[in-house]
Amino acid sequence: MTCMHKEAVKLFEWLDYAFMIRALCATTVMSFSIAPVGAFLVLRRLSLAGEAMAHAIVPGIVIGFVVAGLSVVSMVIGGLTAGIAVAALTSLLARKTIIREDASLASLYLTALALGIFILSAAGSAVPLKSFLFGSILGIDNQTLGLIGATTTITLVSFSIILRSLITDTIDPIFHESQTRHPSLVTQWFMFLVVLNLLGAFKTLGTLMAVGLMILPATAARYWTSTITSYLLLTVSFALFSCWVGLIISFYLTEVPSGPAIILVAAAVFFFSLFFGSHGFCATRWIFKSQTTNSVYTRKPPQFSKGENT
Amino acid sequence: MTQPTLLSTTELSIGYNNICVASNVTLTLAGGDVLAVVGHNGSGKSTLIKTLLRALPPIKGELNWPNGRPEPIAYLGQRTDFDSQFPIRVSDLAAMGAWPKLGFFHKIDDECRTRISAALHRTGTSEIANMPLNKLSEGQLQRTLFARTMVQNAPLILLDEPFTAIDQDTETELLSLIGDWATEGRAVILVLHDLSAVLKYCNLALLLGDGQALFGNPREILAPRNLIRHKYLSKSRVDWMHDMYAQGGGKIV
Repeated sequence: MTCMHKEAVKLFEWLDYAFMIRALCATTVMSFSIAPVGAFLVLRRLSLAGEAMAHAIVPGIVIGFVVAGLSVVSMVIGGLTAGIAVAALTSLLARKTIIREDASLASLYLTALALGIFILSAAGSAVPLKSFLFGSILGIDNQTLGLIGATTTITLVSFSIILRSLITDTIDPIFHESQTRHPSLVTQWFMFLVVLNLLGAFKTLGTLMAVGLMILPATAARYWTSTITSYLLLTVSFALFSCWVGLIISFYLTEVPSGPAIILVAAAVFFFSLFFGSHGFCATRWIFKSQTTNSVYTRKPPQFSKGENT
Repeated sequence: MTQPTLLSTTELSIGYNNICVASNVTLTLAGGDVLAVVGHNGSGKSTLIKTLLRALPPIKGELNWPNGRPEPIAYLGQRTDFDSQFPIRVSDLAAMGAWPKLGFFHKIDDECRTRISAALHRTGTSEIANMPLNKLSEGQLQRTLFARTMVQNAPLILLDEPFTAIDQDTETELLSLIGDWATEGRAVILVLHDLSAVLKYCNLALLLGDGQALFGNPREILAPRNLIRHKYLSKSRVDWMHDMYAQGGGKIV
């Protein structure tokens, strides 16, 4: 009896540590905002742009640290400034020079990442490089919790306002442009949310991993769903699952930073979905076979989505 | 019954980045009119549509809306940037037509819901209302987009090449739908390549080409000499058709 009791205590050992509770709270709240933002990054085919943006904000954060010390305010101001500057510079380069947007984005973010790490190392910051790049569950203080809470609130309120515009603009940008006077407003607002969420995730996941929690749950959920509501709900669930399991792994294997642990769990979910999802590899192969006898173009199409919304 | 004038332009020049692609666009449009815009590639057909939508400013002259600019102006554009992989159902895409009026916060009310199901029914998409977009054929997708256009419930409807990649039967059905819109007193401007459809379904035509524009009755506007002058057809091609016509004793086919 006592033996079993001891085992149970050991299993939930991480619950006794305040930093673990803090990290769990932080990632739980964060999942509700970073996952839908990531979902739209994937839907808008901006996954790589999000990745680039995550690296591009690094020098802003580092300069904020060096100039104003280790505070959330300096991080947010530095990160937002760098993010907006890179976004503006990218579209300027793409419009005014021969280089396309992807190439200019790649050139800029590599420069930015190198610059950030250079300044961080040269200035001898108090933040260890490993936790800067890959995150640390020990790094979540009250200020960070506050930042994550604010980010999630701003993101969810924004989504409740711009969701219709955002969906319309994603499916049919030409139609969206024709029906509103300020078509680029929703795009800019969305990019602002992306940067804000990257900053929120920065402490737990690190600059190199933050974007992974946006992209992987969103790509995994894409293999299961065919309506936007179920898609968004599933991305949040996948993000929550990845964060919880990843954090516990990182707790027991103390040398493993939290970022890679969380992202690897998300990646496992992704590969599982890739093979076994209802739109995944196995299912589409099966549908492809059945199509030879039952064409999709017949008047009464087979109901592929059946059961999915129930 | 003559409808009041909706839109008129006099010697309008259109283009983008200060490059004029067509000048002397003079036209008048009233409710119930179906105006076909015909022209070679790059003659300014889409530029004209974008100018009407205020996405591009006119280079010279202006658009006159005697009774005010209609709100909304329904629009169905070319499908180059359209994402047909987006996880959404047919009925939701049709409902998108109500979005500009709903804005950020309003709910879809009963009246709107009735309009959506009527539009799905009229375009023959009721049966596939719950299908996701990526399972649709080209024709089904275009029918859905016509349903969205109907849901917009607009006095002026702009269609930019709505029949590319669509089979003949669907095209005929959708053209008769456009005829119904005109009967309801709506004005329609559509970019078309099928000249026989222009003669059959449109009461006005605007021929763009070689930087110039010609507006009027389709039977006069689409005369071979005009088509040659506006670079829609080459002289040799018209001569060839004329030869074949004579050779076949007044029948080409």
